[in-house]
Amino acid sequence: MTLLRLIGVATLLHVKQLSRSQFEIATALFVPLVQATLAVYLFRAGTEPHRLLEAAVGAGMMAVWSSVLFGSGGAIQMQRWQGTLEMLMLAPRPPALLVFPITLATAVTGTYAMIATLLWGGLVYRIPLDVADPVAFAVSVPAAILGLGMFGLLLASTFVLLPNANAINNTLEYPIWLVSGMLVPITVLPGWTGPIGAVLPTTWAARAVRESVTGSGPVWPSLGICLAISAVCLAAGAVTMSYVERRARANATLALA
Amino acid sequence: MRLLAVGGVIAYRALFNWTTPSMFVGTLLVGPLFQLLFFAFLGRQLGVADDTFYIVGNAVLAASLACVFGGTMAVSNERRYGTLGHVLLSPRPRTLVFLGRAIPYAGNGLLIAAFTLTVGSLLLGLRIPLGALPGLALTLAVGSLSCAFFGLTLGALGLRFRDVWLVSNVSVSLLLLLTGVNVPADHLPAWMRVVGGGLPITHSAEAARRLVAGDGFGAALSPLGREVAVGAAYAVVAALLLKIFEAESRRRASLDTL
Repeated sequence: MTLLRLIGVATLLHVKQLSRSQFEIATALFVPLVQATLAVYLFRAGTEPHRLLEAAVGAGMMAVWSSVLFGSGGAIQMQRWQGTLEMLMLAPRPPALLVFPITLATAVTGTYAMIATLLWGGLVYRIPLDVADPVAFAVSVPAAILGLGMFGLLLASTFVLLPNANAINNTLEYPIWLVSGMLVPITVLPGWTGPIGAVLPTTWAARAVRESVTGSGPVWPSLGICLAISAVCLAAGAVTMSYVERRARANATLALA
Repeated sequence: MRLLAVGGVIAYRALFNWTTPSMFVGTLLVGPLFQLLFFAFLGRQLGVADDTFYIVGNAVLAASLACVFGGTMAVSNERRYGTLGHVLLSPRPRTLVFLGRAIPYAGNGLLIAAFTLTVGSLLLGLRIPLGALPGLALTLAVGSLSCAFFGLTLGALGLRFRDVWLVSNVSVSLLLLLTGVNVPADHLPAWMRVVGGGLPITHSAEAARRLVAGDGFGAALSPLGREVAVGAAYAVVAALLLKIFEAESRRRASLDTL
């Protein structure tokens, strides 16, 4: 219970902190709408205008991933810039428990993107919100976001080891959109991308949400696989984070690394 | 001319105080290439347009990231790092100093666009007529310069507004939507086409597509001329905004206010 409270309170704190940044707010408000608009016009221009709801949902998932990627990649760096990294690492809790709420907070703020793209599609482009399985949709979206938040911890811990996390962030946005099948079905990609997509929680998250919208398949197995892979990522991220923290303390490079 | 060139080169070198090779490769070379592949596969799946449309369009667009953010950084980083006062105290014309900074970024953009076009073509099997290459190089250069002046205009806003990165981020995503690079212009509403016509990249993408289609340089001349006009307009707007905001920041003593 204490653990859940810690994660809940810390996530809320970081969501509040993100909500104080004009840059974060405006980027989170505006960019997903541009992506949703782009997706709508692309699907309209193509041969599948009946899949507009899928386009809006796909654009929403893309925005959630962007939020997690840039938030997690910058999580440690941001704490360092704010001068709070040392205090976080001094807390009598495993470092992963203190960084996980940051990555979860970025995923939660990404939730807005999903809601906004659907509302934008409905209000501006008159896309009917005919979700095939509303209950599964209501469960799969927050569960997918939780899964991506857990994946974010692994990203955050890995990025600590890399001197130029920003370079990785900027590189990973489109490939993950692509191999996870968020807008492009995986079947149109070269065969060798299949195994890469299959081990990413983003693939299963996007699949679960899409299945709940279209009714094209059973949602729960996809969601289960997403959460299972994410849990593995969380465990791996926790181990890496502890290792990195110990190494940074031993080398006295916490504020510099 | 010396002030224009030397000032630009020094400012560009200063950028590499913090920009590392891995950042350059990851953000400016690999990132745009994946963007190209994403839209090419999406366009292929949806039947919007063929690979050539996406390869050429996204290659031209690839320059925008370096040019828009570079142009913005050229001005706003002076303020951020506290060196703006020194630049503005210079007895040389600031318009030339700042306009000169756009040139290395445009060169950077040209390099990135050429890389994206080459690798994208090799990966997806696009054959470009040899005769089109000189015209294509000119088109990419004009598009990059136009984009760099657009970035400089946004950077000028950095003399007035605190968070100019917000404007740059939003602008880059708007370029993706409005320039007809990924959605064919005739599928966009009229008002979006009008807005897109006033943005960099739009006309150079059209010129590049005509050249790759083998229509010849004559066919590309008209859109290329429009791209030159758009770029020149942004250069003028950037110069004017820099003058206005410089005068205002002196008057209000807000030069180094962050």
